Amino acid sequence: MREEFRLLTRDEIDQLISQGCRSTNWNEVWVAHDFDPQTIVAASFEGEVYIGSLSSAEGEGKKPAISHATIVNTQIGPDCQIRNVHGRIENIALGQGVRIENIGSLICSGRTSFGNGVKVAVINEGGGRELPITTGTTSQLAYLFTLYRHRPLLIKQLSRIFDEQVDDLAADRGSIGDSTTILNCPWLENISTGNNVEISGADRLVNGTIEAHSHIGDGVIANDFIVLAGAELDSGAIIEKSLVGEGCRIGKQFSAENSTFFANCEGFHSEACSVFAGPYTVTHHRSTLLIAGLFSFFNAGSATNQSNHMYKLGPVHQGILERGCKTGSGSYLLWPARAGAFSAIRGKHYSNFDTSDFPFSYIDIDKGKSTLIPGMNFLTVGILRDSQKWHKRDRRLEGHKQDLINFEVLSPYTAQKMLRGQQIMTELYDSSPKTQESIIYQGIHIRRLLLKTCRRYYQMALDIYWGEILLRRLERWNQNENPSEIFLEPEPQGEAGTGEWVDIAGMLVRQSRLERLIKAIEAQELDYIFAVNHGLLQCYNAYSIDEWNWFLATQEELTGNQLTLENVLMMLGKWKTASKKYYNLVRNDARKEFEGPVRTGFGIDGNSDKDFAAVRGDFEHNDFVQWVTRQADLLDERCQKAINQLQIG
Amino acid sequence: MSDTITRVKKVTADLLKINLEQIDDNARFVEDLGAESIQSIELVAAFEEEFDIEMDEDAALAVRNINDAVTFIDKVIARG
Repeated sequence: MREEFRLLTRDEIDQLISQGCRSTNWNEVWVAHDFDPQTIVAASFEGEVYIGSLSSAEGEGKKPAISHATIVNTQIGPDCQIRNVHGRIENIALGQGVRIENIGSLICSGRTSFGNGVKVAVINEGGGRELPITTGTTSQLAYLFTLYRHRPLLIKQLSRIFDEQVDDLAADRGSIGDSTTILNCPWLENISTGNNVEISGADRLVNGTIEAHSHIGDGVIANDFIVLAGAELDSGAIIEKSLVGEGCRIGKQFSAENSTFFANCEGFHSEACSVFAGPYTVTHHRSTLLIAGLFSFFNAGSATNQSNHMYKLGPVHQGILERGCKTGSGSYLLWPARAGAFSAIRGKHYSNFDTSDFPFSYIDIDKGKSTLIPGMNFLTVGILRDSQKWHKRDRRLEGHKQDLINFEVLSPYTAQKMLRGQQIMTELYDSSPKTQESIIYQGIHIRRLLLKTCRRYYQMALDIYWGEILLRRLERWNQNENPSEIFLEPEPQGEAGTGEWVDIAGMLVRQSRLERLIKAIEAQELDYIFAVNHGLLQCYNAYSIDEWNWFLATQEELTGNQLTLENVLMMLGKWKTASKKYYNLVRNDARKEFEGPVRTGFGIDGNSDKDFAAVRGDFEHNDFVQWVTRQADLLDERCQKAINQLQIG
Repeated sequence: MSDTITRVKKVTADLLKINLEQIDDNARFVEDLGAESIQSIELVAAFEEEFDIEMDEDAALAVRNINDAVTFIDKVIARG
């Protein structure tokens, strides 16, 4: 490095001294060959300091590049600007174009891994699932490490892999990436940043890594943390022992400890403790506590709360809300509990239920008891709107999408659950007398009368899903290919059979494929973090072919026969019928937003209908309603086009 | 009074826990009898069980009062 620098000349030292500079030893101050002493005023240098090519800021008064700062054992990249450091900058490597103004201290106090390797007690606050957070901790890797404790060899190998990454990232000197700005911050200790990071007004940042293009704003206090690329941590957030993932937004006095937030999470106002927030976990409201739970695609209503202990052996209970759940305002869940995917939860629940075989459900309170209405949530506006918005709200930057996310609402994961749910409901219905009002299943009440109806809701969803799989297949079909091969044959590279699918914190994968990956990790065939994440990426990329094979095998299992082209045509007909019914029911759900009690309070001094129309518009002109209507109108055309293509083929 | 309307009223009274006498032929399930949205779905299921029929969900949920329910059910029964 020294060849890029030279020692100061006597004249330059004299000039620097005359400009209020001093050094414990000028022979340890190295400068770029084109060094101009006018660029530094009132600075103090201690230990070995390297100063890149500097230029004074343009504009009125031509501010010096470095002024009023104590610099200790630090490397300053070209084009840096450092002004008003009230304490010191010590043991730091500043990249090109870094701007530091009005800070207390920015120091590295010895060998450190900058938050990498901090163990975070997610899901079980009492411990047992501690996750080492690093810049390579994806939601999938975190899922395996925290939830596969029954695989000690996997945990051992992953621990070693994490440890190696932590060792690789450890250093005696902090680094601040190119074009990063640090303004108005009293204390930064053992911090490493990527390029183009903006830190402005943060109160205290200790032991953390902040990846590229992230923003740390006013009043933030963060200890033992990782902030991944493109994330925002702002307005009084307090973060301790936590990971903030790509594209996350955390702020407005949100506090978190022992928690991980993966891609595109949002946390405002409220609190998280021992939370594994998978992608798109969102909590916006004050008085909301998320604790000791696994979430993803989750939306917390205001004053949502959970309890993870019953005053016995401490906070050892855990909860799982599978992807896509919502909690209503003031809802409460007593852990342990597990709610099926895409369920809406309202009220205060004191029973430890498990509804994982019943996705798209309402979980409600009826006369003080937790009650399940399977499939009902599928027919609501909410699920359809959510499914449209997640893609659009992916704030992650190109090249920084390390969490692997399947956005699908209907997938083999939810379909297999609906198939199981149907079977359970049939068995419960057949085995219950007509005099019985409700049945308790896995800790929750189901009204007997609804068992048949809800079974049909699932069938509607399945008919839609089967049709959509076929239509997607049709889109990629080159008509020179034999339709029998395309529509009736499994993909050679795909997993065979009707095996289980799992949702590993945002990524849907055939369990058999994941099992092979796990075995490869256990056998040390994948023995560093990027290799494991690449293995996960390969699983992710196999979604479509595995989905197709699962679909074929499932149809064979359901009907007892291999799929035929006649069946394909029949299924497209069922898809059209079910989709029409579905869009009608969603429209009816949307209509509730325009009728009856929702008009209460409009027209405060009369003219309620006019006031409502002025504020809310009318049903038929609502954008969402019009979109649903268009989709419904297109069904005949889409179905006929598909049938024609197949028959011509 | 037809057999269907008697049975529709009985099922409604049992499910909504109200007196049979309170239910007149034009009584609306939501506005007059206080059925909540989930109870509307249960009513459809209860009619299905009572008459051993299967009703189309979106059409059935559009039925608002006792008389309409009777007409709807009679049509479903007639279709076989």
